[in-house]
Amino acid sequence: MQTRFLPGTATAAKAATAMFTLSRSLNRLADEDLMELVREGESRAFEVIFDRHGDTAYSLAYRMCGSRARAEDVVQDAFLSLWRSGTRYDRTRGSVRSWILSVVHNRAVDAFRREATRSSLQVGDEGLAERLPSGELVEADVERRDDAGRVRGALRDLPVDQREVIELSYFGGFTHLEIAEMLSLPPGTVKGRMRLGLSKLRIALGAEGCLP
Amino acid sequence: MTQRDQMSGSHDCGGDAAAYVLGALEGQELEAFRTHLEQCAVCRDEVDAFGGVVNVLPIAAPQQRASRGLRRRVMREVRKEPRRAAHPGRFGWSLSALGGRAWAVGGAACAVVAAAVVVGLTVSSGGGATVVPARVIGIAGTAQLRLTNGHAELVVHHLTPPGRRRVYEVWLQRGSSAPVPASVLFAVSADGDADVRLPTRLHGVSTVMVTSEPLGGTSKPTHAPVIVARLD
Repeated sequence: MQTRFLPGTATAAKAATAMFTLSRSLNRLADEDLMELVREGESRAFEVIFDRHGDTAYSLAYRMCGSRARAEDVVQDAFLSLWRSGTRYDRTRGSVRSWILSVVHNRAVDAFRREATRSSLQVGDEGLAERLPSGELVEADVERRDDAGRVRGALRDLPVDQREVIELSYFGGFTHLEIAEMLSLPPGTVKGRMRLGLSKLRIALGAEGCLP
Repeated sequence: MTQRDQMSGSHDCGGDAAAYVLGALEGQELEAFRTHLEQCAVCRDEVDAFGGVVNVLPIAAPQQRASRGLRRRVMREVRKEPRRAAHPGRFGWSLSALGGRAWAVGGAACAVVAAAVVVGLTVSSGGGATVVPARVIGIAGTAQLRLTNGHAELVVHHLTPPGRRRVYEVWLQRGSSAPVPASVLFAVSADGDADVRLPTRLHGVSTVMVTSEPLGGTSKPTHAPVIVARLD
């Protein structure tokens, strides 16, 4: 049979090989180096960043939003804003992951404040895992799972009143005044509990080696 | 740490730091604390310390897999919008010096000078590009919009950085309606320069504005604009 498409196929195969090699090379780069390429508009570097941090970003968004559709909207919005912005990632200010998660967090809070329809029940931690089909529960890797376990443990060990205000503010996106109204507490008490809770978390997580 | 740093007025040092890093302050209280932070090393230390804790809170969320559909949608949009990186000082015909003089004259005279700059550049660019000078308000720097075939680039020089954990956000206003996000966030280089392409055409847009916002941007401006470019 005539192999008239063979040259083209060979070219395509070479291109595919080159692409595979590039992808493998990108996968070996640290996040910080990938961000240099993202700044130059390299979409494949951005893809690797998404593959590394998309799950954690989605997990945070889902924890905050409580719905798959809203969480996906938040993550998509956050990653596209990162791509479009051309913002310089500044490695002296923390890891790429922290930077991405802070953007996701801000976007979710922004979405909450736009809608203003959520309730405090939405941010309750209890039972969230059980509400999800077990097949959806994954851990990115053992190390991350261990860290996650330590952070969850440290949160769990906090006095309930301190954990409550931290979760309502961070995962729920509520302001201290909203929390004060919700819990019928003076605003100063809410701030005090936040400070005490974060201080204890800092000590506990520092002892566990979870903080830089 | 200086005595002035430590004794920074009547603010309750540390009282707001935890609420601040958790994102639980807003409005005047938030602005007051930001101002206080610039002067108070005690609170800056506390914010740094608590910030490290808040950075690890996201992993306390039960880990889940982002769907393939989400990944596909994000990457499809990314590939549709090839982005040029910020190239400080990329334009050889930078207007910063001329623009800086133009802003100094102020008022109506400024508008006249600005119009002259636009005409001059439109002619000199030779490629159909129009440069619209923008007012920079309350901070240092110069800015202009470059319009080519309906597309726009915002070029800034020597602009004051947006601040810690903040970013500049671009807004589009049509007539007297409320400004809407242009889905563009940007920071500036160490020299205060940036070159940012706006993803949408400016049909019907009367004003392009820039505000300083928290990292990640917002859906409504929370501050007065620091850059204003009028297109009508």
